[in-house]
Amino acid sequence: MAVKNHRHGALNPKAQFQKEITLEQVLKSALIADPLKLYDCCPFSDGAAAVVIASEEVATRTRKPVWVLASAQAGDEMCLHAKRDLSRALATERAAQAAYRQAGLGPQDVDVVELHDCFTIAEIVATEGLGLFEPGTGGIAAEKGWTALGGKVPVNPSGGLKAKGHPIGATGAAQIAELATQLRGEAGPRQVEGARIGLAHTLGGNTATVLVSLFGRDRA
Amino acid sequence: MSGLSLKEFFDAVREGHLLAQRCAGCRELAIPPKAFCPSCHGKEWERVELSGKGEIASYTIIRVPPASLAGQAPYAVAVVRMAEGVSLLGRLVDFPLEAIKVGLPVVFTPLIQGDQPLIAFKPS
Ligand SMILES: [Zn+2]
Repeated sequence: MAVKNHRHGALNPKAQFQKEITLEQVLKSALIADPLKLYDCCPFSDGAAAVVIASEEVATRTRKPVWVLASAQAGDEMCLHAKRDLSRALATERAAQAAYRQAGLGPQDVDVVELHDCFTIAEIVATEGLGLFEPGTGGIAAEKGWTALGGKVPVNPSGGLKAKGHPIGATGAAQIAELATQLRGEAGPRQVEGARIGLAHTLGGNTATVLVSLFGRDRA
Repeated sequence: MSGLSLKEFFDAVREGHLLAQRCAGCRELAIPPKAFCPSCHGKEWERVELSGKGEIASYTIIRVPPASLAGQAPYAVAVVRMAEGVSLLGRLVDFPLEAIKVGLPVVFTPLIQGDQPLIAFKPS
């Protein structure tokens, strides 16, 4: 996960870390909180992002608008000990289901994902919660390269929180900015070929609140 | 009405007692105390004391601590599944770090730091 997101970040001129790392570097890095090592953790970053939201009428007169297909929020207990299942993020699952319902889409329709990879395990749990992979198989999917650029469903082409950086309050808007760039086909060397549907997964407070939004290149 | 305030909860922790609340409506247990029942949104609570016994459900060893705990690392933190069914986060004490495992039986013990009583668990 860390190697993949750094590889993506190296293709993003706006990423905090534009440098590839090796699996050996990750495994040899210092323990922070077992079993997470230094390269499993995202940085705290300075950064800013902006999103311009317009009415349908204004959007149609705009150069390459990106369409909001769905936006759904769900909540959960904040304290770790109060989570029903430590290996799953219920708020991610609920928000994703609601967003898919709103848009009349399913996980199989998603071409590109920007999600909250504050730690490497968080990306695995999120890909499962978003329905991209069955619970317990997100790690295997990542290992097979399915979430890398060129894979089945590229996750965090921006480099994610891990490499693009985590400017806490700006992170969600930055995810949407990346998806807009992808859906417009303007992402250069990190472009997901033919991306039509993008998904943003934004969270706060230890998954106490999760927002899943779906964006389309074409009008629904 | 809440059966237990946070201050009463930590005062009891200091004395070595682990207090919880049982919802008068749906009988769900809650710890630490809260205003609303997460299951039925009821506000009527009864006060109960837990046995303090449980087992490690998950844990980590903090190697890089927050500034307020500088100098204490490495130390272990665990989610403990209590015998009564609720779970609670606490420090693990009196454990060699390499001996900690999921499933080990533990028992609640207060950990006083400065003037602050913290929840901790030791081998049982
Ligand atoms: Zn209740």
